[in-house]
Amino acid sequence: MSLTISGLTAGYTREVPILSGVNLRAEEGMVTTIIGPNGAGKSTLLRAVFGYLKPASGTVEHFGRTVTGLEPEQMLTEGVAYLIQGRSVFPSMTVAENLELGCWTIRRDRRRVLDALARAYEQYPRMAEKRNARAGSLSGGEQRMLEIARITMTNPRTLLLDEPSVGLMPSLVEEVYQQIGALKKAGYLILLVDQNIRKALQIADYVYVLKMGANSHHGPAAEFKHRLADIIKEWI
Amino acid sequence: MRAAKLAVLLGALVLAPLFVSDHFILSILIAALMFGVFGAIYDLMVGYCGLTNFGYAGFIAAGSYASALGASFMGVNPWVGLLVGGILCMALGFFTGLIALRVKGLYLGLLTWFVGETIRLTIANSTEITRGMLGLTVMPFPDLLGIDFSRANLHAYYYALLVIGTAIVLACWWLVNSNAGRAFKAIRDDELAAESLGLSATKYKLINFSIASFFTGIVGAFYAHYIGILSPSPTEFGVSRTIEVLTVTYLGGRGTLFGPIFSGFLIVGFQEALRGIGAWRLILFGALLISVMLFFPRGLATLKKWLW
Amino acid sequence: MDFSLLLDPSILLELLAQGLVRGSMYALMAVGLSLIFGILNVVNFAHGELFMIGAYVMYFVVASLGFPILAGIAAAAVVLFVVGMLIERVLIDPLRRRSGRGWLLDAFVLTIGLTVVFQNLATELVGSRRQGLVEMIPGSLDIMGISLSYDRLVILAATLVVGAGVWLFVRYTPLGKAIRATGQDAEAARALGISVRQIYMITFGIGASLAGISGALLITIFPAYPTVGMLPAMKSFAVVVLGGLGNLPGAIVGGFLLGIIEAFAVFFLAAGWQHVLTAALVVLVLVIRPQGLFAVQGARP
Repeated sequence: MSLTISGLTAGYTREVPILSGVNLRAEEGMVTTIIGPNGAGKSTLLRAVFGYLKPASGTVEHFGRTVTGLEPEQMLTEGVAYLIQGRSVFPSMTVAENLELGCWTIRRDRRRVLDALARAYEQYPRMAEKRNARAGSLSGGEQRMLEIARITMTNPRTLLLDEPSVGLMPSLVEEVYQQIGALKKAGYLILLVDQNIRKALQIADYVYVLKMGANSHHGPAAEFKHRLADIIKEWI
Repeated sequence: MRAAKLAVLLGALVLAPLFVSDHFILSILIAALMFGVFGAIYDLMVGYCGLTNFGYAGFIAAGSYASALGASFMGVNPWVGLLVGGILCMALGFFTGLIALRVKGLYLGLLTWFVGETIRLTIANSTEITRGMLGLTVMPFPDLLGIDFSRANLHAYYYALLVIGTAIVLACWWLVNSNAGRAFKAIRDDELAAESLGLSATKYKLINFSIASFFTGIVGAFYAHYIGILSPSPTEFGVSRTIEVLTVTYLGGRGTLFGPIFSGFLIVGFQEALRGIGAWRLILFGALLISVMLFFPRGLATLKKWLW
Repeated sequence: MDFSLLLDPSILLELLAQGLVRGSMYALMAVGLSLIFGILNVVNFAHGELFMIGAYVMYFVVASLGFPILAGIAAAAVVLFVVGMLIERVLIDPLRRRSGRGWLLDAFVLTIGLTVVFQNLATELVGSRRQGLVEMIPGSLDIMGISLSYDRLVILAATLVVGAGVWLFVRYTPLGKAIRATGQDAEAARALGISVRQIYMITFGIGASLAGISGALLITIFPAYPTVGMLPAMKSFAVVVLGGLGNLPGAIVGGFLLGIIEAFAVFFLAAGWQHVLTAALVVLVLVIRPQGLFAVQGARP
């Protein structure tokens, strides 16, 4: 099962598309990393898939269902979750409240919500300890952990991760990537964009390179690892 | 080209009253011109520097009452009173700016709103001096250069206002095209970026606010001696009046300076023409402001390329 | 001014009681105003006109149709909830799509236009005659040497109940949490599947509804007429500034504070000067503490 993007064109204004005809296929249980120079449209691609901006043309298929241009809330019911760039915890609400809000689309199913909470606390004991603390009082690494825990609450199949390590110090980057590794083991389909190319390639199974909003290369991650230096040189 | 357009505009303003002898229509022309000038001054603040003075009517009141009280208690000649009103209002603007310009955008709007209300309510409650809501009678201008300024001669008032208004608007025009004007616009667009270039935002905002207040006070003083009776009611010197001026500016197009002159005539003209439909004309007035915000954020300037 | 009068406990108590009642009038409106600002980032200048509509609904339901008081208040709450949602969806939502950095001011000016429309629509449709109720519940309570009419006690009690209700709602219900989340980070809320547009619409509805409830409750003090909302609106703006824009508990405390200050001002200064005092106080607070008197750490400035 997979996430398939075909000929996706999108942008913030109609006249200037950021993405023009992007094709991509990501498989379940794998990490697919998108790399590219600044302004290549990596984050825009994730945003267009998740419904923050409407594609002008092209299709997105998720596990056999067409999900092109759906709203974020509908994407979540389709099993796609999105970790947005930068800080996104609700700082003046508690950790528990933040996690409950992660269950928004399943809020009417009380049992599922309780299950999801229990699961999250089991998986992230730190969050259980601090469940009544204000999210804003957590350390940077803990906030990231909360954000990652929060997007898995609805049991999605696909995670779109937009710059998960941005703004974190190196030791915490390591920690975040361990969490992503655990998510990969748990069988999620992961589509990853990160400034930290080295880490993003290490964890990747398959790699796409975008340039100027269009496909450049793609292939299994192993092929890219030794060619990385060449590719980056090409961007400069 | 620009100068020619201005000449046409000024010519129209000079010639218009010559075809009118009706007292009522003349008073409408005066009201329209006054709103146009207030709108242009307001534009100097909001359109060029991003300063929202939501207590504008209170500043007009300060100018009006300064000259009116000066004339009745200290025998100040109303012509000198124009300057008195201007200077007092400038001082008020300067001190308000000194304390208020540290806050930005909407906070400035709220702050000036309450400054304006403080001025108006102080006037309203100081009944021994201002007679409060009972209304203060103000003497007309004395004759000047052999021209009769009794209130029967509205032509004289119109042309006096035209001279004052033209001087003010041209001064504003000169100002916004000077170096200071470029500083205003930089602050309006991005205050942080402007300060990173080494220009002091506070200083230029203060300059802008004080100058605009000076002009406001002059026109306010003129208004006092023209209208003959002042009362600090919400409709005359309260938030309703500020809203009228603000609408003139927004409809005329923020950052155009001359746009508000057109919209002053348009709005006052339509309001008078539509007197027959009662409150509906004010409903239209509100709807106009809403539609400017929703559909024509640049106001009349949107139409400019076809019409002017 | 004779401050020694303050030593007389019955005068002190009387003034405090008056202040609390006066304050509760301001607080309820201020909570709605603050809620709308805190979540939508809209300073709703037309808040007083929502109050005015509430007063008319109350008058119509109770005086014209003869329903009980409670039905009038409920009707005002419902009508204004719908009106608020409509305003948000029809006017504010489209503006949000096209406005950029000037959003706060653009939205403010838009609601100014709305004020003009509502006031004059009321003049046109029902005229400018004052239409009020003499009293809701006759009689008064005499306690500790002071006398409070039942009406005023009802106002005070209703404010406390509604205020607490709103606080519990945003604090503990899922919808309330979603509303707070949207206020803190709309984009993140959207990523979790919260329909931010819907939240905005509902929140505006709730804020409007609170203004409507105040208009209905206060009908014995402020009879319905087209510009009746202007003074309460100005006062609720003052309260919101005192309490900190977007700070709900701050709005309640600020309301009571302003009410008590004004009650004392009316007693010691000539009537009318309390409005000057309020306006000057707001200016002072905005200059010294623009984040409000009760800003808590982590709250937005």
